[in-house]
Amino acid sequence: MTDETPPSALRPAQRSTPGPGPGQQPAQLTVSPKTLISVSLGAIVVGALIVLGAILPAEFNHDPLGIGKLSGIGRIWAPAEHKLDVNSSSVPLAREYATTFRSDVIEIPLTGFLGGAHGSELEYKFRMKKDATLIFAWEVIGADKATDVRFDFHGHTTPAAGSKELMQVASYKEAYGLKQQGALTAPFDGIEGWQFSNSGDKDVVVRIRASGFYDLIPPGDIGNEAGIIANVPAAQARPGFKRPDR
Amino acid sequence: MTRIRLKLALAAMIAGAALLAVDPAFAHAIGGKDAAFVAATTGPDPFPFLYLGAKHMVTGYDHLLFLAGVIFFLYRLKDVLLYVSLFSLGHSTTLLLGVLFNWHVSSHLVDAVIGLSVCYKAFENLGGFRSLGVELDTRLAVGAFGLVHGLGLATKLQTLHLRPNGLIANLVSFNIGVELGQLIALSVILGLITLWRLSPTFGRFALAANALILLAGVVLTGEQIAGYFFTGGA
Repeated sequence: MTDETPPSALRPAQRSTPGPGPGQQPAQLTVSPKTLISVSLGAIVVGALIVLGAILPAEFNHDPLGIGKLSGIGRIWAPAEHKLDVNSSSVPLAREYATTFRSDVIEIPLTGFLGGAHGSELEYKFRMKKDATLIFAWEVIGADKATDVRFDFHGHTTPAAGSKELMQVASYKEAYGLKQQGALTAPFDGIEGWQFSNSGDKDVVVRIRASGFYDLIPPGDIGNEAGIIANVPAAQARPGFKRPDR
Repeated sequence: MTRIRLKLALAAMIAGAALLAVDPAFAHAIGGKDAAFVAATTGPDPFPFLYLGAKHMVTGYDHLLFLAGVIFFLYRLKDVLLYVSLFSLGHSTTLLLGVLFNWHVSSHLVDAVIGLSVCYKAFENLGGFRSLGVELDTRLAVGAFGLVHGLGLATKLQTLHLRPNGLIANLVSFNIGVELGQLIALSVILGLITLWRLSPTFGRFALAANALILLAGVVLTGEQIAGYFFTGGA
């Protein structure tokens, strides 16, 4: 086959003459039945693979072939969100709770940015019922300057995988800083807390002091994916974590 | 020769798979600030609607894919105009009627049929129907799919809460915009295909190109069927 080969797959009549008149059908390729079957089946098989392997996991949270989990494509999926107005609420000023009152100190070790996202960023949240109260004070120990640590104070509901329920999202504050203290009234049954990212070059510890009506999230569960253990010194708070850079 | 073509076709399919990784869910929605604009408009506002119609067409790659399939083997401007007019006629009819009479059809189902229309045209370009001994009048099919494409657009426009005040003027503007956008997009596609026809590679890659269009049609169809079942037929 050389470059001079005429496009013989086209019907010759339509190559040499001006083309079909308006009363005729447009030109088509002439290919062997074998080729036609291969191309059609190929398109259907590859198309089905794309739909089942990539689009279903990424867009609809269904993973019939397991490719979504294997390739990580499934992580793209997120429930549709509904953002709440966090400045409006109508809870009574005095409230009583059936939940046990508790206090915890959580020490979170964060590596410098050289430790990679896995070491320098993590999320720590508390599980709270709607209208429950959390009083908190956290500080970053060991940072050079206020712009070293960025935090995102937020909360959301946790719809079951595959549910059509909207994820309710409340965003309270995103800023740089080394401390924050205050109180939170949960806008829904869900998880509330902080994403911390250390962009400084030193390792730091975030110490959160919390009191109120909430539950700690077991290590590994959603909201505590980093596996932080509460009420132990920072050195023991993240067992199993190995710095990638040392 | 056929074997080489076949390999090219399969290679092109795999390359196309990567291209298709762009999110098809947003293929054809009118969203964000455009939706907010439409919802806020009362009274005739022809030029913005003209623009939205044209934008919708130029960025609606399922429509464009179908039209690319339609003009792939059309050699004369007269034929191109004939087929495109047929498509526009169908498209405009259901767009106007659908909105005026409040026809609600699941946009996922309409988009699935649009995906099938892409498959149909690619399969026809491959000579598939002739091989099967099926005689289809392409002009009829293009007109019919025009009707379906317009229905899809009508359904989407209605979700935007159009105001009755100035509705017809805005719809006509939108429709003219759709045709303008189609003209712009078609000129580009036609120009590229005409240039390509001058090269000997056209004959060699025509099979691969239509195989790719067929693949894209399968993916669009599958994606919309999945959307229909998993997001409640919205």
